[in-house]
Amino acid sequence: MEIRVRIPTPLKKLAGEKDIVLANGNTVGEVIQWLTETYPGLHERLKDEKGEVRRFINIYLNDEDIRFNKNLETPVKDGDQISIIPAIAGGSSKKRRVTLTFPPERIQEPVIHNIGHRFKIITNIRSANVTENVGWVTLEIDGEEGEYLKALDYLKGIGVKVEPVEKDVIV
Amino acid sequence: MSYIEGLKCRECKRGYPIKPVHVCEFCFGPLEVVYDYEGIKKNLTRAKIEGRPKTMWRYRELLPLDSDPTVGRNVGFTPLIKADRLAEVLGVKELYLKNDAVNHPTLSFKDRVVSVAVSKAKEFGFEVISCASTGNLANSVSALAAEGGLESFIFVPHDLEKGKILGTLIYGTNLIGITGSYDEVNRLCSEIAENYRWAFVNINLRPFYAEGSKTFGYEIAEQMGWRVPRHVIVPMAGGSLITKIWKGFKELELLGLLDGVESSIYGAQASGSNPIVAAFKEGIDWIKPQRPKTIAKSLAIGNPADGFYALKTIRESGGAAEDVSDEEIVEAMKLLARTEGIFTETAGGVTVGVTKKLIDQGIIPRDESILISITGNGLKTQEAVQDRVGRPQIIEAKFSEFEKIVTPKQKIHREVQLQATI
Repeated sequence: MEIRVRIPTPLKKLAGEKDIVLANGNTVGEVIQWLTETYPGLHERLKDEKGEVRRFINIYLNDEDIRFNKNLETPVKDGDQISIIPAIAGGSSKKRRVTLTFPPERIQEPVIHNIGHRFKIITNIRSANVTENVGWVTLEIDGEEGEYLKALDYLKGIGVKVEPVEKDVIV
Repeated sequence: MSYIEGLKCRECKRGYPIKPVHVCEFCFGPLEVVYDYEGIKKNLTRAKIEGRPKTMWRYRELLPLDSDPTVGRNVGFTPLIKADRLAEVLGVKELYLKNDAVNHPTLSFKDRVVSVAVSKAKEFGFEVISCASTGNLANSVSALAAEGGLESFIFVPHDLEKGKILGTLIYGTNLIGITGSYDEVNRLCSEIAENYRWAFVNINLRPFYAEGSKTFGYEIAEQMGWRVPRHVIVPMAGGSLITKIWKGFKELELLGLLDGVESSIYGAQASGSNPIVAAFKEGIDWIKPQRPKTIAKSLAIGNPADGFYALKTIRESGGAAEDVSDEEIVEAMKLLARTEGIFTETAGGVTVGVTKKLIDQGIIPRDESILISITGNGLKTQEAVQDRVGRPQIIEAKFSEFEKIVTPKQKIHREVQLQATI
């Protein structure tokens, strides 16, 4: 069982500087429990004195607010994505912006075309600078969370450096 | 002279200095303004308030500005009306309306919150003001930004009523219609707020902005002769207004300006957008977000930011929550217009309709004082009733033509009674 949990920027440093943590559990509640046990610093930020998830933290399972489902009892399965999002921020956005920095050997390749072709995502170049030796592109990526993450893994796999542009890719 | 001490998280109580922030860094709870009530108590009396101009700024010690307001100086002090004809139809003894349908300058209660927010934005040195809106806020922000000489960006769902679109564009703003619900507009605005140094009245200025709503409550109390109605019905969208009316009453009590607050607060929503009412009826204290579908577009918020606190206010005050269908909303708008001569927008149809329902259900007793909040103007939501009010009768400019359309009953005032009908 492997669940991907997206950590909001303000809590990243309490989760070992990770944007995404691979977690375990059979329900959303169990995953959150696993998370607060694995990263004890997250406990007081995610849960109140009574051990309940804080009122102004919303949890999304595959981009769906868990309150539409069975809340913390919502079952999860291998490959699911959970997003932890401060409520006041309003929810999860499906568009993310990332800056890709290409190693010299990849500059000639149609990398952006390739990710749009291989994964179900839509890419939109927002700014770019490509010369013979260095190249970077700021890209807006729209699509399902799973496809987006697969695209990022692919990019990293071929040596492209991927950095989120905004403070967070989720607001 | 300012009596504001800082900001405080409503959840974990951590303190913050006065700055344009709205979320607690620690627990993500909303921030609220903290006042020096002791200092205010020493300085503010009923007589002092009564001697000031009839605007919401007569309660300025209880509003979060450092100095005098720079926009919206004439906002507030709208009529409090004893509604005897409507009372008769509803079968109740003592009924009042607080009529913000004629609030200055944009005909909704939003001018109260926006005049505080725009004045505060100017104190903070912002040059651009912005908001996510279901319409009334859009009108108010664009108007008051124009008055203050600030650039404005207004984000709304693209399918708003024509009157609300026009009533925003006229002020020379940047109006952006989003192909999505208000909740999606709001989400986008949160993202923009992270990236632009703009004052979003209902995002980064929310703690200050929301305080303006308290004046709706202060005015009710003062206009009733420094007492509060036993039952108060309030429309709920994001759920902020209802909490602030209650807070306003409690503050006046704390300051010794009211001798006790015996009042129950009732939340009103449209059946097609009733997340707070649904939570109240289920007996839970958290909100299940909805995808709204109602003609009451100004209340169509499926994920209300202050839903939790709205529920708390209703329960703490011993009130209740109820919703009405679109059909009932239209009927209630017509009822109010035909009994009291007040044309309210759909949100007013919601409060009047819910009041009727709560009285019929026996939840609000018929022999105690009741106040219905009217928060917006009917001219802005004409689409809701345009096919439901009949049409004018068109005739030639001839007396004989006129006489053809007058009913026998209407002829009782005719000077010369005819023997036979024409």
